[in-house]
Amino acid sequence: MRIVALRGATTAKGSLRLSLAYLSLALPFALIVISLLLGLYQIPIETVGRALLSLIVPQAAEGISSTELTLILRIRLPRVLSAALIGAALASTGAAFQGIFKNPLVDSNLLGVTSGAGFGAAVALLLGGTALAVQSAAFAFGLLAVMVAYAGSRLYSSAPLIVLTLMGILIGSFFTSLTALTKYVADPLNTLPAITFWLLGGLTGVTWNSLPLLALITLGGSAFLWAVRWRLNILSLGDAEATALGMNPTRLKLVIILCATLMTAAAVAVGGVIGWIGLVIPHAARLLVGADHKALIPTSLALGASFLLVIDTISRALLPAEVPLGILTGLVGVPILIVLLRRSQRVW
Amino acid sequence: MRRLTCFVLIVLLLAPLSAPASLAQSAPFTIEAAAELQPALTALYKARYGAEPTFVTDDGDLIATNDPAFLPSGRVRVPPHFLPDSFLVMARPSAEAEAFAAFAVSPDGQAALIEGGFLPKSVTVTDQAGNTVEVAQPIRRILTPYSIATYLVYGVGAADRLVGAGYLGTRDPVGAARMSAIDPRFPTLSGYTLNQREINIEQVAQLAPDLIVTSARTAWLDTVRELNIPFVLLEGESPELLKESVRLMGALLGPNARAQAEAWIAYYDDIFTAVVEATKDLTERPSVLFIGTAPLRVISGQMYQTDIIAAAGGRSVSAELGGYWNDVNLEQVALWNPEVIVIAPYGEVTPQTLKESPEWAIIKAVQDGKVYKMPSWVAPWDTPVMDSVLGVIWLAQKLFPGRVNLDCALEAQFFFEVFYNHKLPEAEIAAVCGS
Repeated sequence: MRIVALRGATTAKGSLRLSLAYLSLALPFALIVISLLLGLYQIPIETVGRALLSLIVPQAAEGISSTELTLILRIRLPRVLSAALIGAALASTGAAFQGIFKNPLVDSNLLGVTSGAGFGAAVALLLGGTALAVQSAAFAFGLLAVMVAYAGSRLYSSAPLIVLTLMGILIGSFFTSLTALTKYVADPLNTLPAITFWLLGGLTGVTWNSLPLLALITLGGSAFLWAVRWRLNILSLGDAEATALGMNPTRLKLVIILCATLMTAAAVAVGGVIGWIGLVIPHAARLLVGADHKALIPTSLALGASFLLVIDTISRALLPAEVPLGILTGLVGVPILIVLLRRSQRVW
Repeated sequence: MRRLTCFVLIVLLLAPLSAPASLAQSAPFTIEAAAELQPALTALYKARYGAEPTFVTDDGDLIATNDPAFLPSGRVRVPPHFLPDSFLVMARPSAEAEAFAAFAVSPDGQAALIEGGFLPKSVTVTDQAGNTVEVAQPIRRILTPYSIATYLVYGVGAADRLVGAGYLGTRDPVGAARMSAIDPRFPTLSGYTLNQREINIEQVAQLAPDLIVTSARTAWLDTVRELNIPFVLLEGESPELLKESVRLMGALLGPNARAQAEAWIAYYDDIFTAVVEATKDLTERPSVLFIGTAPLRVISGQMYQTDIIAAAGGRSVSAELGGYWNDVNLEQVALWNPEVIVIAPYGEVTPQTLKESPEWAIIKAVQDGKVYKMPSWVAPWDTPVMDSVLGVIWLAQKLFPGRVNLDCALEAQFFFEVFYNHKLPEAEIAAVCGS
């Protein structure tokens, strides 16, 4: 990975890959438009177009039934946008974590953010909280879990990355146990099904209310990861090399971890636990554009957003009953990745 | 003098001991019974008082009969059945006769009749998982980890035989308080960890039940097999299967439970017929969406709720779905565009939740204000329990106000009195079927 990264930044092939990465950014935008046209409720393309136009020119909505208008603007649009944002957040933070921890088998849940968020949501559901309360609790506990893991790792001075990873795993399992405890005490008729469903992940209940926090954090966080993407290359060389190149790796890592955690927590708070994307999309991106983070971060953002858009559209537009996203991501994603792996004979 | 005092003292001390015997000799009540029922009654009477009963041919205090003409008409309690089809009627009520009637339907009474050869020593049933089970009679200690089975035992009037009862509403204080009002023993009975998924096997051994009744989808059957306790499995997700479950409980828990089970089945059929009669001229069935613990969680076609909707004269829009609860999206609901939305009795969702949502405003039922929360008293009326007959009545009234001539509150009052042996508190009768 190290050699590839260095070479990727300097060769002509590298600049080609960079162009490919920027080009891939158009994909999610195209998919957003396509997704808006698809749904169980058949709505003509022209109507969808006019409904979207009515956001700018209110007169364009004339003649569209309130049902169609509501479905396009209040159901499909927030859902499609949140799918894109969540996919982008999970994939890009996954890529960042893999770079920082120099480990291709991790994602941004490494430090327990998802487990913490799951527990927060479960407690809020147990107490009968509103959708907003559940989201806030998930977000807060996601951050808390990572903060505890990070604070715990500071108790040891040697081998900080290993200790941090270990702490993350420990805190993650601790919160998973707490979630199981919450499920154990939950009312089996009432709160238990809600908790189980939330933990499976899904965007069924997304409305505009869910979007502001998610959009703010994902866009801000993505911009930050974009800005530091070349520094990730140096971080992935190791602390000694980074220090020799005049960087403060510890501080930079902390900031990146914080940013990635915020993004993941916001994504999980809205979409529930959607596994797989943060781990595998960065690999798919790497197969396309190589391990150079300059190309990898934009491509991960684009592929993550696109992948979840496709998956969520399948989930909501194919069958009358929604298939949980956690099931579809694996079922659809694994074959795609296996094909990608076969076609690229590159050394990992 | 001292000797006399001593004698008087002894007589005084012995008097209470000899009292029951003298009571029996003077026969606290007379029994009027056909000759063929007399041997069974003698066996019962002997077991209770250790003496022969006084039979009369006319004007008895207690009438024992198998003549259906003596069955009370209308919606009142089923008379105590000591044998299949033979029951006791209080001609002249007295505490002693009432106590004898209670003894006749108790496990002890059943044991006396078994010993006399009037009732079988064991019954063999085929449960709803298809297993043939032989169960020794009488069942004195029954364990119902499946909460639906708990309600069924109450419903057939055999709750005195429960030793442990699974209960879904353990964490619902209102429902639990109502169950405790029906049966003071309920907090103890429901205080164990008992459900389809979890059981403490040592606790079960400690409770030493004669029979376990649970769901066909129970996780721990293999462990319980080790204890050699017979178990019967239920699966009641349709009206026919529910009637079969009730009949099974009747077959297992003695002649009185059987009579009560049959009475409930007759009542259930009556209600179905009444709704069908009232709605048979309608060409269009109102479309109904039944939702659960979340607004977008809907029933499948295989769930009992679909049958309740059909029985009440409606048509479930989500009947095409399979499995258990399904999560759908609002586009699907908009496609169905149901005329009526019914919310399950449990869960946080209320009609207000939907009315306040701008997204749901596109659905016809919400526009027309036809969003209702199904009420429940103890058991949820949408689950395959005997109480679900009230769910049918309530829904029929909501779907066809004025057309279906059934008064939900009145029927509920009757139902709880007859099947749960519980008088609804006067103040709560009006609210039992919701506002």
